[in-house]
Amino acid sequence: MPDAALLDRAFTHMMRGLVDTGTAPHYAELARPLGLSVEASQTLLHELLQAYPIGWLHPETDYIASFPPLNSLPTQYRITVRGEQKWFAQCGFEATSVTWLFPGETVRIEAPCLDCGDPLTVEMRDGRILGADPESVVGHLNYGFGASRGRNWFL
Amino acid sequence: MNLFRSEEHARRWPAFQPKAEQGFLTLPQLAGFFGTETRRHMLDPDYLSAWYPKRAAERRAYLESIGKTTPFWLGTPDPEET
Repeated sequence: MPDAALLDRAFTHMMRGLVDTGTAPHYAELARPLGLSVEASQTLLHELLQAYPIGWLHPETDYIASFPPLNSLPTQYRITVRGEQKWFAQCGFEATSVTWLFPGETVRIEAPCLDCGDPLTVEMRDGRILGADPESVVGHLNYGFGASRGRNWFL
Repeated sequence: MNLFRSEEHARRWPAFQPKAEQGFLTLPQLAGFFGTETRRHMLDPDYLSAWYPKRAAERRAYLESIGKTTPFWLGTPDPEET
């Protein structure tokens, strides 16, 4: 079982990396900041995702695809902060918690509606909804929560 | 877990599941669900060890507070599926 303090540091580097650059660091990039060999960092990556199983690797790789609330693999949920669109949310629900990664900043969520393709936007700051276009924007869970539902929770 | 322009847009989505008629959240509900205490600490250096373990109970409590108490939302076994 890995050291909890080390997992905390790995988590923080991963999340900070995503916030700073829009993409998740590779395990080889985590090695030096964490004082690990590259091999140990690779092992730690897998331990990190066991401890934080709502994130996931792209199948058959050691590349972080999703580390919620953000995604390294692009989704339709584009996030803009300070006029820069370089982040993606894991899903429409997680998009509404990205605001907590950018304190004091306006976070703009933009996505095409899956029904019609027309755009929808939501703006938030420090957890507050500043506005939505159209105002009728809703969240929808298509498969219930829980492993028994048979589909990934973020779909 | 998607955003739609309105409930009617979600219902017209070809992938819409009949059981998911109960799957709507308003934007204020979403902001509440994803704005619980643990969410505010995602950048804390001890988030994974100190805050993440509290997340599931917090989510459940919030869902119950807005009346989302079915197996669909709580992830509990659904008698209709067994």
